[in-house]
Amino acid sequence: MGWRFDNPLGTLTTDDQNARAKKLWNEEALGAITEDNNRLPQPIIGLLVLTIVTAFLITFPLWGQRPNAAMFEPYIELMDAPEIQGKSDDEAMAFIVAQVKASGNEWLPKLERHPVEMDDLRLIRDQVIELKNKGVDLREYNIVGNKVVLANFEGNKRPDGTVERIQPWWDKGYTIDIFFIIFFCLGVMIAVKRLPEYDWQPTHGDH
Amino acid sequence: MFKYLFAKAEDIPAGSAAVYFGFSSIVWFVIGTGIGSFNAAKLAFPDFVTGSEILSFGHMRQVHVLAVILGWISMAFAMAMMYITPALGNTKLWSEKLGVWNCLLWNVGLSLGLFLLWLGITSGREYSDLPWFIDLVVVFGLLLPLGINVWMTIKTRRTQGIYTTNWFFGAATFMVIIVFLVGNAPEFFQLTGLTEAYMTWWFAHNVLGLWITPVAAAISYYIVPKVTGNPLYSHRIGHLHFWSVVVFYSTPAAHHLMSAPLPEWLKSFASVEGVLILVPAIAFVSNLLLTMTGKWRMFVENIEIKFTITGVMMAIPLNLQGGFQQTRAINWYIHGTGWIVAHAHLALLGFSTFLEAAAVYYGLQTLLRRKLYSLGLANFHFWMLLIGFSTYWISMTIAGLIQGAGKIYEVPYIDVVIAEHPYMIARWVGGTMVFLGNCVWLFNMWKTARAGTVIPAGRLPHELAYER
Repeated sequence: MGWRFDNPLGTLTTDDQNARAKKLWNEEALGAITEDNNRLPQPIIGLLVLTIVTAFLITFPLWGQRPNAAMFEPYIELMDAPEIQGKSDDEAMAFIVAQVKASGNEWLPKLERHPVEMDDLRLIRDQVIELKNKGVDLREYNIVGNKVVLANFEGNKRPDGTVERIQPWWDKGYTIDIFFIIFFCLGVMIAVKRLPEYDWQPTHGDH
Repeated sequence: MFKYLFAKAEDIPAGSAAVYFGFSSIVWFVIGTGIGSFNAAKLAFPDFVTGSEILSFGHMRQVHVLAVILGWISMAFAMAMMYITPALGNTKLWSEKLGVWNCLLWNVGLSLGLFLLWLGITSGREYSDLPWFIDLVVVFGLLLPLGINVWMTIKTRRTQGIYTTNWFFGAATFMVIIVFLVGNAPEFFQLTGLTEAYMTWWFAHNVLGLWITPVAAAISYYIVPKVTGNPLYSHRIGHLHFWSVVVFYSTPAAHHLMSAPLPEWLKSFASVEGVLILVPAIAFVSNLLLTMTGKWRMFVENIEIKFTITGVMMAIPLNLQGGFQQTRAINWYIHGTGWIVAHAHLALLGFSTFLEAAAVYYGLQTLLRRKLYSLGLANFHFWMLLIGFSTYWISMTIAGLIQGAGKIYEVPYIDVVIAEHPYMIARWVGGTMVFLGNCVWLFNMWKTARAGTVIPAGRLPHELAYER
């Protein structure tokens, strides 16, 4: 295997080896089938780059979409408000939602995606209050069905060695993706650049 | 078939195994879609065939899925491998006798497996429903002998190069064995809980990603250049396609479980990889459509090209759906609805079936040295398949969106059932059209074998005019 590196965007193969490859490519028919040596059309390259960028962009802003306990904390605090005592569940819930909305809560976009009813709040209320009394960060706890559980994110380490259960910007999944993409691109580029230059086309002999 | 099981190797005509696999695949397609039509009728008309446990939907669904995947699709793949692999190496199949035994074992093993599923003996895991001892039969009786024949045929080829199709055939037969052995580990080793769930979907994802998708694509890499006479547009794009399948299709299994308590980083990783499935799709579609340059009239005139290019074009909506429906933003809405059923049928009944049908049409004519009995019946088959599938796909997609809305807005279940009822009827109509089309196909190919015009030596089927 002869290598050359003076023209990496053209070919990584020595001239004599390329000459042998061209001869074989011209003369050999594989079951009467032949192949051309066209490069990837530039619009297709653009589409591939767009795909890779989109793959991250469409998943990146959705970190931690699962509802967490912190989101519902203001709802739960308002469950004891005197204004809702004696009201029906629907009226009470409408009041709570309106109050939280008026307060400009940071979780409003997520709360809109995860509407709840009074019965839902009753299921998680005691669990959230218990966690709050423990002094833990409620953002680290997810609502899964009727349970409030520690999230399975693997985030930054705290000074005491424990791991934050909040998704960090460097999420391990995305960093592995970047690793995969880099090695994939390198591998495929080496594979195709070992071929004769793309401006050479086989004539396919008599095939 | 039986007369060749113990015959001397030199007494077995070349192509015998491929012909047996080809006809078996069509028969299994008729059976699989027939059961599919039966199942769809049960969903459309709840009073249809009740009171019998073995004819209940829960029993019959698994039989339908496995009959189609291991009967129709995989036997059509085996057929394609047994005639395309040697053709591309300018040689003969390594062992015709092994191929004939392989076909017999395949039919017997699959029949046994489906019979057990029918009786309710099942692993209970979707797609890997077969009990563990049948999984071992599939690996060592069906897939390994096929792999050995493919690998040895490539090894003993009389060409220096290996064409793109054979990269896929050689790699996919290896990968599917690994997928079956690893993916069924929960049964072999009694794994439960989240591990079982993940392994179940690792299997389901990779049966599609590392077996059905690459082999179907490999078939079109053969059919289009062979029938049109054009060179494959780009050997380079073939590299991009092959390696992107291996890298990006093998990794996103966790995107089937976006709401499960898997580690979140695994889901982030899988979700990005899921979108990147578009990379092999773009490479594949662009390479094949550019190969058609100057021969687009064949898309209308030639039945094999008509099937192949329709299948290739279905890869576009298939991968756009597949790439984006698994992201957190969309998955929460459509997960667990008929949308997914529609998508699965786009992959298996749309994209891959059209490519396999082309391989079987072309292969049987070439091997039997008989021109297709009736182009009219073949076109009827094509349109029944296309209209039937489209009806199914569109109706189930709409039903899925209704179910998604019902799920999110907590609409009472029975209201959702009523709302989607018309689409369940449309699904049954579409599926039944596919079944009827396949019955016609079986008849057409049977008549081709018996009464098709003999193809003179040195000529290929697509070079002769149709007589009917």
